[in-house]
Amino acid sequence: MVKIKYLLIGVPVVIIGIVVAFIVFPSEEKKVKKQFNLLSEWVSKSPEENAFTMLQKMKNIGTLFDEPSELKVPSQSLSGSYKREEISTYAGSARSYFSQLHLKFYDFHILFPEKESAKVTLTSRLTGKSTAGEQVDETRELECVLKKKERKWLFSTIEVVEVLKK
Amino acid sequence: MGGESFNRMATHHKIRQFFFPSLTPKFLIRVSLVTISAYLFFGYLCIPFTIQGISMEPTYHHGGFNFCWRLRILFSEPRRFDVVAVRFAGSKVMLLKRVVALEDEQVEFRDGKLLIDGKEIEEPYIHYPCDWNLSPRRVEKDCVYVIGDNRGMPIENHHFGQTSKVRIMGTPLW
Repeated sequence: MVKIKYLLIGVPVVIIGIVVAFIVFPSEEKKVKKQFNLLSEWVSKSPEENAFTMLQKMKNIGTLFDEPSELKVPSQSLSGSYKREEISTYAGSARSYFSQLHLKFYDFHILFPEKESAKVTLTSRLTGKSTAGEQVDETRELECVLKKKERKWLFSTIEVVEVLKK
Repeated sequence: MGGESFNRMATHHKIRQFFFPSLTPKFLIRVSLVTISAYLFFGYLCIPFTIQGISMEPTYHHGGFNFCWRLRILFSEPRRFDVVAVRFAGSKVMLLKRVVALEDEQVEFRDGKLLIDGKEIEEPYIHYPCDWNLSPRRVEKDCVYVIGDNRGMPIENHHFGQTSKVRIMGTPLW
C-alpha cells in the first residue's frame, strides 16, 4: 500500500521533472528551429502592421544573421556575401512590396557536421498578397548553414535548391 | 417474454461496448495496432494531400483532396504522361505535375505545341489555349521533365522543368 502511494507521487514528479528539463534545457536542434521560427515571425506581415513594428522587424531580421552571411538566391539575383545591415535593408524593401506575408517552414532535416555548425535542409513557403493585389505563393527548398556564436545560432549561409530546372 | 428482454439487454450491451469499450489489454493492443498501421499507411504509403494552386487545372482543381500512392513509383519507373508528386525537402509540401519527357529526351515548345525529340506530341489533357515557346533542352540522366496541365497561364508564371527521379514521391490515387 505504501509502495503504491510512493509510486503515485513519484511517477508524476519524474514526468514533470523531465518536461521541465526539456523546456529549461532545450536541445541544440530546438534552438536551431527557434531561429527559423523567429525568421518566420519577423518576415511575416499583417495588413495592419504599423511603421514602428515594420522597423523593429527589419532590425530583428538582421540579428539572426552572421556577419557576413552568404545568400544564394539566383531567381532574385541575390547571390554573394552580405552584412547584417544589408540583409535588414533588403528584407525591409522586399516586405514593402507586400500588404500581407506569411513565411512557413516545413520538413526540417537538421545535421551537426561540426560542433558549432548546423546544416539544415527544409521547405519554405511564402504566401501573401502584393500591394498591387496579386496573390503570392512561392515554395522553395532551402539549404542553410547556421553557426553558433556566443551561445546563439546565426544564419551563415542560405541557398535555394533548384528542384525544377527549366 | 423473458427471452425478448434478454435479447434487448444483450443488444444494448453490445452497442454500449461498441461506443464505450472496456479498457481490456486485448482492446488496448487492438487500438495500438490500428494506430500504428494507420500511421505507417497514411504517413509513408498513401499520403493524404490537398491541392493548392491552379497549375494542374482542369485535371486537378484548387482545393481538391487526394492521396499520394507511393508504391506506384517505388517498384517502377515514372512513365510519360504520369501525374506525379514532386517533393521538396520532405512530403509536407509537394508539387503535382505531369511527366512529359524522360531521360535523354529533348523537350521543346513551339507555338504552344510540345515537341519531344523534334516530334509533336498529342496531349489530350490540355484544354486551354497555349502559346508557349521554349528552346530545345535535353533531359539529364536520372531525371524527368514535368509540367502542369494548365498551359493557359503565362510560361513565366508556371513552375515546371527537369527534376531528379528521386524527388518523385508517387502518383495521385485518382
